[in-house]
Amino acid sequence: MSNTQPAPVASEHVELKARKVSFDWEETPLHWVPGDPFTTHTINVLHLLLPAGERWFVHVYKQALPYITDDRLREDVIGFIGQEAIHSQAHDDVLPHLRKLGLDPTPYTAHVDWFFEKLLGDRTLPPGRPRRWWLMERVALIAAIEHYTAFLGDWVLNADALDRAGADPTMLDLLRWHGAEEVEHRAVAFELFMHLDGGYRRRARTWALAFAALMFLWQRGVRFFMENDPSLLDPKASFADFVRKGRQGVLPSTPAMLRSIPRYLSRAYHPSQEGNTAQAMAYLASSPGANGGR
Amino acid sequence: MPRFTTVALVAGAALLVRRAVRSRMSTAPLWPMPALDTPISGYGRGSTVPRKVRVAGRAAPAEGVVELRLEGEGLPAWQPGAHVDLVLPSGLVRQYSLCGDPADLSAYTVATRLIEEPQGGRGGSREVHEQLREGVEIEIRGPRNRFPLVDSPAYVFVAGGIGITPVLPMLRAAEAAGADWRLVYCGRSRATMPYLKEIEALGAGGHLTVVAEDESGFPDLRFLADLPDGTAVYCCGPDGLMDAVAAAMPEGRAPRLERFTAAATTGGTAFEVELRRTGRTLTVAADQSLLSAVREELPGITYSCRQGFCGTCRQRVLEGEVDHRDELLTDEERDGSMLICVSRCAGKRLVLDL
Repeated sequence: MSNTQPAPVASEHVELKARKVSFDWEETPLHWVPGDPFTTHTINVLHLLLPAGERWFVHVYKQALPYITDDRLREDVIGFIGQEAIHSQAHDDVLPHLRKLGLDPTPYTAHVDWFFEKLLGDRTLPPGRPRRWWLMERVALIAAIEHYTAFLGDWVLNADALDRAGADPTMLDLLRWHGAEEVEHRAVAFELFMHLDGGYRRRARTWALAFAALMFLWQRGVRFFMENDPSLLDPKASFADFVRKGRQGVLPSTPAMLRSIPRYLSRAYHPSQEGNTAQAMAYLASSPGANGGR
Repeated sequence: MPRFTTVALVAGAALLVRRAVRSRMSTAPLWPMPALDTPISGYGRGSTVPRKVRVAGRAAPAEGVVELRLEGEGLPAWQPGAHVDLVLPSGLVRQYSLCGDPADLSAYTVATRLIEEPQGGRGGSREVHEQLREGVEIEIRGPRNRFPLVDSPAYVFVAGGIGITPVLPMLRAAEAAGADWRLVYCGRSRATMPYLKEIEALGAGGHLTVVAEDESGFPDLRFLADLPDGTAVYCCGPDGLMDAVAAAMPEGRAPRLERFTAAATTGGTAFEVELRRTGRTLTVAADQSLLSAVREELPGITYSCRQGFCGTCRQRVLEGEVDHRDELLTDEERDGSMLICVSRCAGKRLVLDL
């Protein structure tokens, strides 16, 4: 082992707590980034993946809780669970609005539900090592996914291009409230993984799995939305569009996403090296949705 | 030449595969991944979305009473006895029973009596009377029902003044079901008692006794003492009336009550909780949450927000009556489970599946 142990860069520990939120979708149009269905739907894929995905986080972490021997980490995980439960509910509540606008997400979300509830759900394994192995595998997967949610959270907090494009304020608030909480709790999933297992091979393996799954789910999700959008005559979506929109700043930039890969795979990685807790806390203090919808 | 054939065959096969995959993807967007038979996502409680209604009509069914028709989209179905929370423009939250037609899902109807400050009013009814003009948009929560109408061949309803509101849809339901019902409707004077005409018109199969204080004083409730078994008794009105009904009931029987006064949402009384699978019985102190008592016994129990909105601490209830104080669970979910961080026991003892 080298001397580059994963460690937080600063002692910026904040107490995690779930916030009660309220988002009124009444006024949100189908293309909430005006005139830009590709960007709208690329971000909308979040609403397809997160309700089931974050419900699954909660389900897995509830099982991991008894294995934690560090009291502060346990408090963090408890706060994390509540935040993720609310994230899942908040994104879930966008889906009926999409359905009302003529874009029923159920054909897609039923697959995602199967993916998280069945494929990644609890398995009939003998107690002891096999059961713990499956739990650790899932804890590691969550740590890898949380690397990307923190990346996206940091991105959306700084995505001024979305404001300039006139994006719907309620949707932006949902994304930024969620993004800010992801930045706020970005270290928890990784620290839990390091506390319970920490094996580098597992970290790399589950990263590859999570990355591949996210790519697969995301590109299919964008295609699904574009093809089923009742207002689009030419529902084309390509990777080149993604790169172009990334350059404009309304989506994450492709080079920045590629650069984040080696960071997670570095043995010295710790989530506190990325993102800005102060910025996240400042947003949470001013977010209309996180302050009772007022 | 054989090379050309190979390339053509491979290209042809690739095209066929692409067509096959595309056609499958049009019905199953994540093909070849299976789908869950009963999708979960997108059919949640909607707990993070405010439900907005618009005041579409105002009427005065009696002196000092205003009836509001609140129109909204996608209003949930409700059963007689249900109430909604109105989030008033000032932020005050008040509960009002639904008194309209449960079959009409385009609007809810509530009725409010103005209670002046000297009579113990706390500003909610004044705001309803003065601020909720036609066209005003407000947020509502619910509906919830903690006063449900059970199936019964015979009912006795005792309503006092504005306490008629949850009883009115019950009367209609009892009448429609062909049940035998009796209503004792009390009030200060006939002019202050809402919906009298409507109830008199309804009374074909039932028995109505109107007791106006200025005409005939207080109601005679002695008939409750020899009530046949199987008659359900419902009472809603001032505390004095509800106490009188409870006192007039035969030994060992209790009326179903709906209290208007602000529910005590903090503190509570001590009670016992049995953790059936653990085989332990604990005492929850008056100033202690059920969660904190259970944590002493089961340190690994899951919870998070401790305020009754994240749902992490939900547990199955096997026995006992729950005093639900959360903001999350639906009536169906409340029937058999509870959030142990805020909810308590309405009686002396709870049994949890823990």
